[in-house]
Amino acid sequence: MSLVEELTPREAAGKALADLGDLRNDVVVLVADTGETTRARFFAERHPDRFFNVGIAEQAMAAIAAGLASAGFMPYALTFAAFMARAWEIIRNSIARLNLPVRLVGTHAGFSDAYDGPSHQALEDLALFRVLPNFTVIAPADSCETYRAVMASAEVKGPVYIRVGRDFHVPTTCDMYKVFEVGKGYVALDGHDVALLTTGQMLSFALDAAHILKEKGISAAVLHFPTVKPLDLTLLSRYARTVKAIVTVEEHVVHGGFGSAVAEALINLGPKPMAIMGVKGFGRTAKSPADLYQFFGLTPDNIAARAEELISLSR
Amino acid sequence: MGVGSLSELACEARRRLLIMAAYDPGIHIGSSLSVLDILTALYGTGRVRFNAHNGLSTRNYLVLSKGHAVHAIYALASVFGYLNLDELRETGSLGSRLQNHPEDDTPFVDVSNSGSLGLGIGMAVGLALGLRLRGATGRVYLVTGDGELDEGVSWESFAVVASYGLSNVVTIVDLNNAQLDGPSDEVLKKGDLAGRFKAMGFFVQTVDGHDVDKLVEALEAAEKAGAPSVIIARTVRGKGVQGLEGSIKQRIPRDEALELAGRLSCR
Repeated sequence: MSLVEELTPREAAGKALADLGDLRNDVVVLVADTGETTRARFFAERHPDRFFNVGIAEQAMAAIAAGLASAGFMPYALTFAAFMARAWEIIRNSIARLNLPVRLVGTHAGFSDAYDGPSHQALEDLALFRVLPNFTVIAPADSCETYRAVMASAEVKGPVYIRVGRDFHVPTTCDMYKVFEVGKGYVALDGHDVALLTTGQMLSFALDAAHILKEKGISAAVLHFPTVKPLDLTLLSRYARTVKAIVTVEEHVVHGGFGSAVAEALINLGPKPMAIMGVKGFGRTAKSPADLYQFFGLTPDNIAARAEELISLSR
Repeated sequence: MGVGSLSELACEARRRLLIMAAYDPGIHIGSSLSVLDILTALYGTGRVRFNAHNGLSTRNYLVLSKGHAVHAIYALASVFGYLNLDELRETGSLGSRLQNHPEDDTPFVDVSNSGSLGLGIGMAVGLALGLRLRGATGRVYLVTGDGELDEGVSWESFAVVASYGLSNVVTIVDLNNAQLDGPSDEVLKKGDLAGRFKAMGFFVQTVDGHDVDKLVEALEAAEKAGAPSVIIARTVRGKGVQGLEGSIKQRIPRDEALELAGRLSCR
């Protein structure tokens, strides 16, 4: 995987698709004038017959992907995550309702398209896809996990949404585990005072926060949930019973996303003092995603501070 | 089966549509009547079949993008002996497989993403791409209303048909000039529909959508065209039922439905 580690997340997705195309001849790829920007080009170069560019037409892309799935193929449709939402009603009626094996890959998710500002920064996509029946929702942390998630998605029966960043990533999962299982959460760091729960690219930030907490004598577990839906309730309940508080961190609005999914689960498992860290409102134009993490209070220091606060309140 | 007998079967299907309407106020009777002769030409000539289950195949597909007219298919299926009257009476009931828009388990329709308008068009394009990838000779017969051509996704999808030269899609527009808020050409200008398709490179024919003979001829020409093709079928909402023909009525009360069925003469 060392090669994948050096790729950006979108490149890792493109490479996975190309490799998947070698393994399975039912895989077809659609883009909405986004063959280059999503790096679906990697697939097109190896499998030109199975690559379709429908132009700047996300709705047609979704509807045609449904048709290809009905014809027995396994379509992967890629565009910017923010623009995938434009086809939401079609995705609902043509893909989710029929439970078709269409895989939607939303790239440039979260803050990863810092330059283009709020219009291009998808911070609502987890919520949008989470509410659709039959959908599996995956938000990988880095390029290694993106590659594994795309490869693993081929085994999922129903529709899948995979959220992929543009270029920013901190390689974290490459040596963390060997096999990516859809629906499984991972213990990135064990601990017993507080659990920091992450999805997507916030994993490395949470690990840094745990080290900050450790220096203060607080033992923080870091639990990584690349699959937001279905959520790994086994892992969640194991830690929810023992820790004093839970902090979720996501590059997404605080409404309806990963933190909401955890909170919904905890209602049944046994509520805990909890903080949902994310974004309130739209993104901003900036020179780099790092500036945006700072601006929106999603840094290791911020995460550690919230955890400390919750622990002190729960005493 | 001769075209003459097809017209008689279509007439009998109209009677059964009225009987269904007597039991199910959810039926879009006007739209079902306008598209019935088109569907008779497709099912009656064996181009598409009354498959009990939808799903994967290399056969011909029918995509009824104006899914609210699915009762026309149920009526035809019963005339051809694939459904009995008992089941027709249950149309639209909770638990019936004859839903008021095609759903995943609805028989006699190959795909079921319609209901929301314009979606069947993209679905048909995906099916056609799939058939081509398999090297299969099957065709996709796409039946769309004129109202749903307001939807952007319709034209996005037709552009893909044109760009990929999908000659295995035969589109039939049920041009009944009616949509929810009034005449289609008044609600939103459709412009010169034939011209719009021609400009994209489609082989375009315009026919009387109630002349089954002419419809079959047009289908044969479309299949030989070797290019994306569209048949613009001029139709009348409520066709074939005195009192409904040309009216904006879409849902009718039980007494009226039964009376109209009784008065319908198919000879």
